[in-house]
Amino acid sequence: MSTIIFKDTKKNLEALKKKGTYRYAVDSDVPIDTKLAYVTADKKQFIYRIIISSVEPYTESTELLEKKKTDLKSVLAVERVDSIDPIPLSEFRKSKKRLKEFSDFETVELPTIKMVEKATYVDTLSPGITEIMAIASAKKLELSVSVAEKLAHYKEKLSPENFSKLLDRIGVDLDTKKIDPHEAVGIIAAQSIGEPGTQMTMRTFHFAGVREMNVTLGLPRLIEIVDARRIPSTPSMTVYLKPEFEESEEVVMNVVKELENTTILDVADIITDITEMTLTIKPENNKMKERLVNNSDLLDALAKMKGITVLSDKESKEIIVKPQQESFKRLYQVQEQLKVQTIKGIPGIKRAIARIDQATSKWILYTQGSNLKEVLEIDEIDANRTYTNDIIEIAQVLGIEAARNSIFNEALRTLSEQGLEVDQRHLMLVADMMTFGGSVRAVGRQGISGRKSSVLARAAFEITTKHLLRAGLLGEVDPLTGVAENIIVGQPITLGTGAVNLVYRLNKK
Amino acid sequence: MTGGISKRIYRIQFALLSPEEVRKMSQVKVITADTYDDDGYPIERGLMDLHMGVIEPGLKCATCGGKVDECPGHFGHIELAMPVVHVGFIKELKTLLDSTCKSCGRIKLTEDEMKTYKGRFSQLSFATSDPEIIGLNSKKATDEASQRMVCPHCGTQQNKIILDKPTTFREEGIKVTPKEIRERMERIPDSDLMFFGLNAEVARPEWMVLTVLAVPPINVRPSITLETGERSEDDLTHKLVDIIRISQRLRESRDNGSPQLIIEDLWDLLQFHVTTYFDNQTAGIPPARHRSGRALKTLVQRLKGKEGRFRSNLSGKRVNFSARTVISPEPFLSVNEVGVPEKAARELTVPVTVNIFNLEHVRELVKLGPEPRNEFGKYVAGVNYIIRPDGRRIKITTQNAEENSKRIEVGWVVERQLAEGDIVLFNRQPSLHRMSMMGHTVRILDGQTFRFNLAVCTPYNADFDGDEMNLHILQKEEARAEARIIMKVQEQIMSPRFGGPIIGGIHDHITAMFLLTHGNPLYPEDVTVHMLSYLDVDHMPEVELVGGKKFYRGRNIFSLLLPEGLNLRFTSKLCSGSKEKCAYEDDPLDKEVYIVNGKMIHGTIDEAAIGSFSGIIIDKIFRKYGSAAAAKFIDRMTRLGVAFLSSRGFSTGISDYDIPDNAITRIEEISTQAIERTNKLIETYRAGQLQPAPGRSVEDTLEIEILSTTGVVRDESGKIASTYLGLTNPSVIMARSGARAKMLNISEVAGMVGQQSVRGGRLNRGYYGRTLPHFKTEDIGAMARGFVKSSYKAGLNPIEYFMHSIGGREGLVDIAVRTSRSGYMQRRLINAFEDLKVDEELRVRDTIGAVIQFKYGEDGVDPTRSDKGDTVDVDYLAFNLEQEVE
Repeated sequence: MSTIIFKDTKKNLEALKKKGTYRYAVDSDVPIDTKLAYVTADKKQFIYRIIISSVEPYTESTELLEKKKTDLKSVLAVERVDSIDPIPLSEFRKSKKRLKEFSDFETVELPTIKMVEKATYVDTLSPGITEIMAIASAKKLELSVSVAEKLAHYKEKLSPENFSKLLDRIGVDLDTKKIDPHEAVGIIAAQSIGEPGTQMTMRTFHFAGVREMNVTLGLPRLIEIVDARRIPSTPSMTVYLKPEFEESEEVVMNVVKELENTTILDVADIITDITEMTLTIKPENNKMKERLVNNSDLLDALAKMKGITVLSDKESKEIIVKPQQESFKRLYQVQEQLKVQTIKGIPGIKRAIARIDQATSKWILYTQGSNLKEVLEIDEIDANRTYTNDIIEIAQVLGIEAARNSIFNEALRTLSEQGLEVDQRHLMLVADMMTFGGSVRAVGRQGISGRKSSVLARAAFEITTKHLLRAGLLGEVDPLTGVAENIIVGQPITLGTGAVNLVYRLNKK
Repeated sequence: MTGGISKRIYRIQFALLSPEEVRKMSQVKVITADTYDDDGYPIERGLMDLHMGVIEPGLKCATCGGKVDECPGHFGHIELAMPVVHVGFIKELKTLLDSTCKSCGRIKLTEDEMKTYKGRFSQLSFATSDPEIIGLNSKKATDEASQRMVCPHCGTQQNKIILDKPTTFREEGIKVTPKEIRERMERIPDSDLMFFGLNAEVARPEWMVLTVLAVPPINVRPSITLETGERSEDDLTHKLVDIIRISQRLRESRDNGSPQLIIEDLWDLLQFHVTTYFDNQTAGIPPARHRSGRALKTLVQRLKGKEGRFRSNLSGKRVNFSARTVISPEPFLSVNEVGVPEKAARELTVPVTVNIFNLEHVRELVKLGPEPRNEFGKYVAGVNYIIRPDGRRIKITTQNAEENSKRIEVGWVVERQLAEGDIVLFNRQPSLHRMSMMGHTVRILDGQTFRFNLAVCTPYNADFDGDEMNLHILQKEEARAEARIIMKVQEQIMSPRFGGPIIGGIHDHITAMFLLTHGNPLYPEDVTVHMLSYLDVDHMPEVELVGGKKFYRGRNIFSLLLPEGLNLRFTSKLCSGSKEKCAYEDDPLDKEVYIVNGKMIHGTIDEAAIGSFSGIIIDKIFRKYGSAAAAKFIDRMTRLGVAFLSSRGFSTGISDYDIPDNAITRIEEISTQAIERTNKLIETYRAGQLQPAPGRSVEDTLEIEILSTTGVVRDESGKIASTYLGLTNPSVIMARSGARAKMLNISEVAGMVGQQSVRGGRLNRGYYGRTLPHFKTEDIGAMARGFVKSSYKAGLNPIEYFMHSIGGREGLVDIAVRTSRSGYMQRRLINAFEDLKVDEELRVRDTIGAVIQFKYGEDGVDPTRSDKGDTVDVDYLAFNLEQEVE
């Protein structure tokens, strides 16, 4: 039984779907045992599934829906057409990696979608800890796992009686530590992050693990994070390999090669000969070695270019490129094209450096530039651990929850790298506030502040007149629920002690 | 004047003013451009007409009859000769013109299209929905409508309208006059307005073309009289004068049939004046200027920006009952106190409302007059003013005090001078966190400065090199109660930033406690008694007899500060970090602090124990015994520190950095070696034999190599120097105990200053290819690139000094840039987060009620009360339990 994939228009498929059981003529030779077909409209994602009852060679008939007018070869007896959740092309290509192009038709194996059992966190806990949590919950005490883990040690050390006493004390402690209702947690968080800002260095660059790589840190990085900047000033990735490859230098070097976006100019000199109307590519050996490129890679890259003749000299390893159309303009064009022609690698990754972790003797790759989506498609890579510092990219590839965590992690890392202690709860609040709307919003007038419900609060922050004029046109109503607007009109604010009222009831006697 | 807020504003609706409404609210139609007549009396129907309010004492408002300060001011209006467009709404007018039919006034959408858009708008409310979303929807509708060149309703052919910035519209190259625009706007039916994001209930498009201009009350634009007697008018009045003049000329020209060209010119001029009246920074037109050449500050400028109405008058205000002066230290004050100079205390007052219970007391108080003193000549709070129930203030003088004290009745208010024990707010700018403004109780002191305990320097980030601070006297009982319960210094010991103490020992406190406990020294009885006389102790610590004389142990003396029942075990800072340092201690008992039942058994007290930010002892006392006990501990620690250091003596000088000659030679040697090594590296580089580090150019590699070489030398020289500087050296004591400076600073003084850098690299700018003309252009050796081989003590040679200054300047620039950048970041953060609060279920919600977090911080724990961020400190609780069980 085989499965086919092919490209077709949405219009055709919708028509077929409406007809239900019908016969569909296609323009390729479909194997007779085909039972399933997946169809793409955009060559990237497959959005239809056709269940086929049988396949026969094409014969003209009126009871047919035709994919094309001409060149029809087979007829599919369609049982049903389903619209499905998009399946990316990569799912059908297990063996060979990232193929972007897709010809019209292909026979493939059925995509195997791995079903991973959803593991609950508690299951991963050791029985000892589950037991502690059970004892605690018997005392109506909700313990977090981290606290329970710390308790494990005392469970053995203390007598059951004393251990129970300890749990009681923890319960009392937790109760006294609860945050007060109406506490202005937002202001506290903002102050706690803003205040140490004055103590941070402005020095933009700092080495991050690898001596060769610079990463923005300190105040500029913190500002970048809260700004939700589309592209960070130094995007970089930390790429981990799957455990089985982690110690193999060979695999590592291959991955490096696959990652690094290398252009011809990176590894060779290009010399333009105006009299001969040719371009000579002179590969530089050490650069080639450093970038892990060999001559055939170079030739492969050239083969992708159009309108040129390539002559390769085996002896000197020089490559002569001649534009097919002889003109200076064309020569210049080709020269410019050659300079930026990619030999290999992933767009956006300027450099990749592999480092061996001294402690574990496992390889870790660091990259300059980031392209999470394509890096994750490389087979040898451990997608669970691979990381980028580009928050927006994480939001796009992995979703908003991942972005929330990455805002938190990046901010925490930036602050602790400077030796500044800031409670994690403040950073969580910032991350949650930036992402709770479903997209990453910046802290500032285009983001959170610009979408406040109060006209006065917006006017007081930035671009005063715009907000006031628009409020007039819309007849906006300021509900006076926030802090800034109540201060403006001279009323107590609605937080803390201002949020509650005391009523003194006189005793009737 | 007392009493709470009787009314609360629950909402404010915004709207556009219609011409009718302007006329309705106007008290006078202004027709003359003049202000005052020759006698200085406001001209009737002029810009200063008495109907619009009064600013001169003696005159009464013609509208409400109120005097100055009573009359709130009233609007007037100007009838413009010809309509002009409102600059603020140019964009809206453009879309309105683009998207509506020029003849029938309907939006150029078919019925079907209108239906779909209507569906979208019906889900939105103009008054409360997000304006961004309304804007997006209306943009879609208007974009579609403006594309259509034939009206779907009446079939009229449409023309393209071009906006000639800032205020001229052209259709087919012909100017569309504001009059015509207004006519077109009038034709748009109410039912079509929603597609433009206009709320038909409050705004009509023709109101964006002005026919009447509201004249703001005189209180808004007061004129000032200079010393010369000359009157100077407000910028707005100037602008209004211009508008009236041109409007009149335009009316006359139009009425006596002047040529069209002249009328148009005047019309344009009127447009210019009205435009600049609203916004004098409109792009595309020159700002209107004052006679002196200064650009006028008109309506938009009054509101906008940092100095505008919103940020400088509405969001923040100037206050009375406040004082500001230089600060200085006073270790004998509690952290909760602030020393206020007498001069300030006499000026600052607290209002006391007279009631039947305090009547007699208040009468006695008033009798004292404004400058009472007790029999020792010390300050006693007097009374400055008494306020009658009708609001009249009576100044109390020594002469009238007696007489006035008798007049006082229930309901009067007495403004009593500041007294000891009053709670006040004390603040130092920049107020970056809540600990920048705390409640202190007053102590009246001699002198001219505010004084406070040194432990409070950290939260205020204050030092005494000329810093000034502000003091605010609370005027209401609620405020005083909140200040005492929430804002008082002792309640702020724990920082919400990291859940540890931010108030704690600094500098000398740490030095003193370190010396007192390190090695557990013995002190003879007289010294001990002297030290303890600074504290309020009722018993002596454990005595030890040596040679028949009484001696006391340092740790036992320190134990007097600790509350009973305190159990603690931790490692001191002395030992944190490298193991090397730890091993270097002779007595292993010095590293581990062990406190049982409020008695220090062994260990060394240093920054980790009592310092601000880290102080474990303060942290635990606060948690176990509360804020008052923690404050008491800090107060007593300060006193003991002063007592100890004043009896022992502690100082450092240049001779403390003396190291033997052989060490100096050794340092010289290694620095010469480093320079040689650098030269060798350069040679290799020149010879082209330097292997580049992966991913780096040869030049970069060279720089990195050299930097690491010079870095190593500095460290080594530091090591050499510090072997000769032991724990007897005051600087080393300060560095090791965490009181001040790092070992690095000591090695800079005694050993070598080391490589100077700019932006993380060696110095390289200045002349072409060299830093200074003293070097050859190709010289990239150590000295030519800012290597300082001298120590601060030995002194820098002129070239080194210059290089050092270059490095130092980077630091200064860095600070300047950083403060402004981080200040703006904090402003944005505060603005974005100010409305968030925790509700009763520990959820975090914003003003609309949207949930940001379902449980604050994932565990609902207050960071201030957390154990340095942890939910609970299990180890500490267990340790305490163990101690108690034993």
